[in-house]
Amino acid sequence: MTVDQNALIEYVTRQRWYGAKSRPVTHSEVLDRVTIRHADPTLTLALVEVRYETGAHDIYQLVFSDGTAGAFDELADDASPARELVSALRAGLTLQGKLGVLEFRPAEDSTALSRDLGAARLVSSEQSNTSIVFDETVILKLFRRLEAGINPELELLRFLGEHDFRNTPPLVGWYSYSGGPLTATLGLLQEYVADGIDGWKLALDEITSAPERFLDRLERLGEVTGEMHSVLGSDPADSAFAPEEPSVESLGLLTATVDEEIARVFLSLPEDDERLAPIAGRSEEVREQLRLLTYAGSSGRVIRTHGDYHLGQTLWSRSGPEAPAATAPTAGRGAGTPAASGGDWVVLDFEGEPARTLAERRRKRSPLRDVAGMLRSFAYVATAAHLAADGDVPEDWEERARARFLDGYLEAVDPALLPPGEAAIERLLAVFELEKAVYELRYELDNRPDWVQIPVAGIDRLMQQAAEAL
Amino acid sequence: MSEQWFERDPLWFKRAVFYEIHIRGFFDGNDDGSGDFRGLIDKLDYLEWLGVDCLWLLPMYESPLRDGGYDISNFFAIHPDYGTVEDFREFVEQAHQRGMRVIADLVMNHTSSDHPWFQESRAEPDGERADWYVWSDTDERYPDARIIFLDTEPSNWTFDQLRSQYYWHRFFNHQPDLNFDSPEVQEAMLEVLRFWLDLGIDGFRLDAVPYLFERDGTNGENLPETHTYLKRVRAEVDARYPDRLLLAEANQWPDDVVQYFGAGDECHMAFHFPVMPRMFMALRREDAAPIYEILERTPAIPDNCQWGLFLRNHDELTLEMVTDDERDYMYEEYAKDPRMKLNLGIRRRLAPLLDGGRDEAELLHAILFSLPGSPVLYYGDEIGMGDNVYLGDRDGVRTPMHWSGDRNAGFSRADWAQLYLQPLMDPVYGFQAVNVEAQLRTPTSLLRWLQRFIALRKEHPVFGLGSYEPLPAENTRIFAHIRTWEEDIVLCVHNLSRAAQAVQLDLAAYAGMVPVEMLGQTAFPPIGELPYLLTLAPRGFFWFQLRQGDQQG
Repeated sequence: MTVDQNALIEYVTRQRWYGAKSRPVTHSEVLDRVTIRHADPTLTLALVEVRYETGAHDIYQLVFSDGTAGAFDELADDASPARELVSALRAGLTLQGKLGVLEFRPAEDSTALSRDLGAARLVSSEQSNTSIVFDETVILKLFRRLEAGINPELELLRFLGEHDFRNTPPLVGWYSYSGGPLTATLGLLQEYVADGIDGWKLALDEITSAPERFLDRLERLGEVTGEMHSVLGSDPADSAFAPEEPSVESLGLLTATVDEEIARVFLSLPEDDERLAPIAGRSEEVREQLRLLTYAGSSGRVIRTHGDYHLGQTLWSRSGPEAPAATAPTAGRGAGTPAASGGDWVVLDFEGEPARTLAERRRKRSPLRDVAGMLRSFAYVATAAHLAADGDVPEDWEERARARFLDGYLEAVDPALLPPGEAAIERLLAVFELEKAVYELRYELDNRPDWVQIPVAGIDRLMQQAAEAL
Repeated sequence: MSEQWFERDPLWFKRAVFYEIHIRGFFDGNDDGSGDFRGLIDKLDYLEWLGVDCLWLLPMYESPLRDGGYDISNFFAIHPDYGTVEDFREFVEQAHQRGMRVIADLVMNHTSSDHPWFQESRAEPDGERADWYVWSDTDERYPDARIIFLDTEPSNWTFDQLRSQYYWHRFFNHQPDLNFDSPEVQEAMLEVLRFWLDLGIDGFRLDAVPYLFERDGTNGENLPETHTYLKRVRAEVDARYPDRLLLAEANQWPDDVVQYFGAGDECHMAFHFPVMPRMFMALRREDAAPIYEILERTPAIPDNCQWGLFLRNHDELTLEMVTDDERDYMYEEYAKDPRMKLNLGIRRRLAPLLDGGRDEAELLHAILFSLPGSPVLYYGDEIGMGDNVYLGDRDGVRTPMHWSGDRNAGFSRADWAQLYLQPLMDPVYGFQAVNVEAQLRTPTSLLRWLQRFIALRKEHPVFGLGSYEPLPAENTRIFAHIRTWEEDIVLCVHNLSRAAQAVQLDLAAYAGMVPVEMLGQTAFPPIGELPYLLTLAPRGFFWFQLRQGDQQG
């Protein structure tokens, strides 16, 4: 099959997963292709290069079929061809392309591939990837824009599986390409939590309808998070995961980076905006607090983390993970936690922040950065519930949510990963929260002015808390 | 696979900020008192934060270190003090992951006299490597070639007892020149390049490049044969290794140096040596003329080439490319203590040259960053480190990096006495006063300012890619010029005077546009038909982006 370049450019740049919408494209070609199914209708996996005016380029994954004319990607509207990819995973195929090799691998111990798959459906909410759910039991995620190197999600799911972390859906298989154009993970197959309720939606619902029950759930989420970090920091023999002491400058570099960002954001704050009143003109004060907060000695150890952790990355599963929650080391104490009464949290999406480079997403960081992300999402969900609510959000809900989550977390996490002592933990956590809140402030000012009060309140709260703590 | 970490970009070096590192002095990763690659890996987060794009390493090869490693005794091995080839590979990989490229010094002109090639050449006058060096029965050939290390070398020829002949050396007598007339030498050097390129290195700074060949009746510099060979090197690199860089070190006048760009088919970059002393001269004289003049004398270069610009580096502040009068002036102003002189230059770091002046440091960086070319920073100068003129040769500007106020300046956990050189301890520039840790914490520090300034420059490709148009004013204390690239127009105005100055600039060509100051994003009054009046603080500067009247703010 020959490919018309203009048609290819036209096609690729129209897709939802295409990332560089504003960059002029000068060239596009199929770099390599591997036929997965030879029988009619044939199916071919293709690496398509898109080159820009500047000489830079991206590589995308497409799935061609010779049977249909005009459409370059068979998975655009129809999920069924993806079944061929799953078959290849089950068979553990190794296929040779022109410039490299395509390898399909099933995960060890996985039983999810033992029977044939039936119904397939596309997940509609995806932006940068394409996901397909089969029989409501497994989900295939195809990475569209490919980045060189091992995908952090594959890396973390394998590690968590091998080290018996139960609160994430097990990995079933993956496929990757290695060769001239690049070496990259192309896709992965994971068990699907059919009865999962999105953590964010559950929070919105229960804040008003059952606030106490949700606080119980958050304590359990704290435990799960702590267990996740303990596991991620548990293997000194694996260099990709071994906990490390941060470099001497790391806290200084973090402080300097956040400080510059604060200065920049405050410089661009619109004047006379009532919603900004609690923080307006307090740039120097905020920066001063930041400096005081970072006069900590040790900042704990750095480990691989989730990297983009918030309520939207969690599911509440009524049936819970496949193993009984009672096997978790801390479950014995949680008499009041819902884990005991069936159901548990499941953590999803270990890809890290999509805007960062793959190398950055694989970097080891303090686990408290994940914690800060989750705490900030409590602030968001409280405001969102308030805006949308039929009922009332309890006044002190956010404070109590934070406290319960942290109780669960500190109970479960390996203390060797954190700075020594509660005060030092609080200070470092405040630094990461400030970093997030300042980022949010810029984001909301640019994109969602109605939400600006959330980071404003967050910064204000951190200032008060810091003043009390110091 | 280095190319995997970067977007394909053959002209990356035109927008890059370079950072020169003395490996021995940067950070000690194995507690033996000497910096190494493990230590360098530990400090990559710092360099990434600083925002530099390319790290330039001083020589890292096996060497007896009689000339700071520029005397190489094995081109295929890392000096054991610095680690192993495997450590080097890991360092390059880690730098690439953080978006930084790596180039290294390579000396093609000569080797150490300890190199097995030289030992073989002197021992076996009929052997395979007999003609790998330049031998002669007399010491009278090539009399027009100047002696570069005037302070130590009486002649470019030294007698070898074993072979009973003289050998040629443009630098120290323990650094015999390779004979590039030998095809085997030419091939051997290409093999060296391939070895390191295969390890992922992004290019080389080619040391002492004008001296590869010798010919009777010439001064032995910039010979046509040298250019022919460099073109061959470039073709080899282009054929197999995309996006790599050859940076020529040729301490010459711009007219001669441009030959090293060829027609865009020789070196990608070359240092612009003469502009450097003139920046210091302009500052001391409070007169922009020396900078305007040298830029006027600088010929245009091919589009795919770039100048390398610097304020200070690991060598002495060289005064070869100035007149005798200018040299006397520079010595008088910047090297009052004779110990500060070395060969034809001044061996001092940036901060002490400027008497520790913060405004002066910012002003010189602003001028450097505004000129057409890619700036090269020297390790330690970003925190305003000092020097030690009582150390021999150029060691005074190669002391350990000041990481913190802790023991050994945070540079090493070895015993104080074990350090290759002791960090500075004087009250003004000592490591208690000047160090990375303290400056990171201080928003107003030079380090923090420079980090912001690097980020600003990188936001505007115009500084790397744009045209340069001088804008001389009646007030000669002002150095002003305009850089333009596509829609981006930047006006740079620098006050060289110790006093506040007013200047009227002829900006009629830009009438209707609004200058927006780039550090603070402040809009200034629109440009009209009349001369544009600006007032500048002592040693102050403005960089403006000129925007269309309707898109200000």
